[in-house]
Amino acid sequence: MRPVRTLLVLGFSLGMAMILACKKPEPTPEPSRPTPTTPKVEPPPADTRAPVDNARPADMSAAKYAEFQKAAQAALKDINFDLDQSDIRDMDRPKLQTIASFMKAYTSARLMIEGHCDERGTVEYNLALGDRRAAAAQSYLSGLGVNRDRLNTISYGKEKPKVTGTSEESFLINRRCEFKLQN
Amino acid sequence: MRRTILRMWKGMLLGMLPACGLFLSAQAPPKPGGQTEVTVDARQGKLGVGLPNPLVAGLDTAEVTNNFTEVLRRDLEDAGPFALLKDRLPTTVEAATVKPWLDAGAEWVLSVKVTKNGEAITVALQVLDVKATSQGEGKQLRYAFSKNYSGGASLLRRIAHTVADDLVDRLTGERGIANTRVVFVRQMAPGIKEIFQVDRDGANPIQLTRYGSLTLSPTVAPDGRLAYVTYKGGSPELWGQKKPGGVHERLYPTAAAGTQGSCYAPIWSPDGKRLAFTQSDRRGNSDIVVLDVQGGRVRKLTDGGFINTEPSWNPAGTQIAFTSDREGGPQVYLMEEDGSNVRRLSGEGSYNASPSWSPNGAMIAYVSRFEGKFDLFIYKLGEGKAYQITTGVASSESPAWAPDERRLVFSSNRGGNMQIWVTDLSGNAVKRLTEFTYCQSPKWTRSR
Repeated sequence: MRPVRTLLVLGFSLGMAMILACKKPEPTPEPSRPTPTTPKVEPPPADTRAPVDNARPADMSAAKYAEFQKAAQAALKDINFDLDQSDIRDMDRPKLQTIASFMKAYTSARLMIEGHCDERGTVEYNLALGDRRAAAAQSYLSGLGVNRDRLNTISYGKEKPKVTGTSEESFLINRRCEFKLQN
Repeated sequence: MRRTILRMWKGMLLGMLPACGLFLSAQAPPKPGGQTEVTVDARQGKLGVGLPNPLVAGLDTAEVTNNFTEVLRRDLEDAGPFALLKDRLPTTVEAATVKPWLDAGAEWVLSVKVTKNGEAITVALQVLDVKATSQGEGKQLRYAFSKNYSGGASLLRRIAHTVADDLVDRLTGERGIANTRVVFVRQMAPGIKEIFQVDRDGANPIQLTRYGSLTLSPTVAPDGRLAYVTYKGGSPELWGQKKPGGVHERLYPTAAAGTQGSCYAPIWSPDGKRLAFTQSDRRGNSDIVVLDVQGGRVRKLTDGGFINTEPSWNPAGTQIAFTSDREGGPQVYLMEEDGSNVRRLSGEGSYNASPSWSPNGAMIAYVSRFEGKFDLFIYKLGEGKAYQITTGVASSESPAWAPDERRLVFSSNRGGNMQIWVTDLSGNAVKRLTEFTYCQSPKWTRSR
């Protein structure tokens, strides 16, 4: 891992700044894209795992829970990856810092980190690559002080694309980690 | 003629790459009026087969046409060494029509009688040897092959496939593939996939799993037992059958192993006793392990902080081909079944993956990325050389061998969305097998 320590402070302040500014930080499209087709968002798949609503801890009031939900929504943004890579990109470090801050603010929260790939490459290699990406995010968050036990990982390879389409923009959006609240 | 066809047939297997078209290169300019040469040219060195309408007793003629005659016709056309004769043919098989059949270019004429008696169907097949009959003494009909088939009324298609395989066997000495099926993954909705199967000719689609979840990567044991990966419990686990026709149960993680790591890419060993598959660890690395399915013991074959996945056994079950990124990008490697003697197979290209060892062991199919898309290649172990099979603007993935080693089934988006396709080893005869929404990861099996 790279000089995480020095990035800690910078990343933390950046992350806090973003929360305060309440800006949507991403996604960062590749600048040199000539004809970006608008990616079509697929309907959310029926998922057997717990939706966010069930993540409400017993000791949390409704108001506090609404606040928690809002904070989660603001903090849990996808990070993206370069083709065939699982390294955390510099531009995504603030996002992970924000997630780490959220996890420290809500100590009962647990995350499932989902690793995803774009449609290129084999089914099985992409499943393995998704595990690499999820583990990279987990390791980075752990380096920021979030207990690993609160960070589960899973890979969906290229099986659950976020958007359809074959533009570089679509591919970049699909090469991602998603962060989902867990019970 | 028989010998020529046989030589071409064998040649197709061993020497068809990459120029392929032995059959195609036999074309000569048509000669008007030269009846024999025209038919030979049209048949391109294949054995001319006449298939008049069967005699039918006790059931609907249309049913026989749809579920027997047309099924058999297509099986024989797809098989390779036969040319089905079509126009202006005699409609009977008797002494008086031997000469017309001979003139039409037939060497074999299939005389078939289909009889239904209660719920039982009998198919009586006699294969007229036209040349032997025409050269023989008197009016005696001579047969190349005769056999009776019987089964339940619902098995008419299956009987047609068996007839086709018997005819391939009679002509070439090899076992045909008409009576086989392809198992694959079909998307039901975004994020939900299930295992399906179709017959080799695309008929009889059957859903094999109903989890309403992400279910992937089917593999079929020689006795028909299915194994696959499913996310139905949250994380990807190995499920399948321990007994032929048995219930689907969790195969890994076993109760003893507890919950550890995700499972991917299972593949039965050729003896059907072990499953090689991929297991990921907490650091995001993947290793190939082998599970003794009855005993529940696992053995890890790779270790070293890389991606190792997509195992494929050699037919003897003594070696495994697999994909690894140990040298940077994904490449194809071989190792012994105990994980020793790892050596790289694939040469050129930054992305070589998805190896599939051929049923007779001499070839390994795999995919390679070139200019952003993926194509099928075959590596011939004897030559130490790779040959490109598919070329096109679309991607071709997940090659798996036909049981006769003469074709590959694979997934491709060449028709728009991802479907299952079949190609011969020349890459020229490519046919679509499925027409569902989105299909992937095919496996081809004889087991029924």
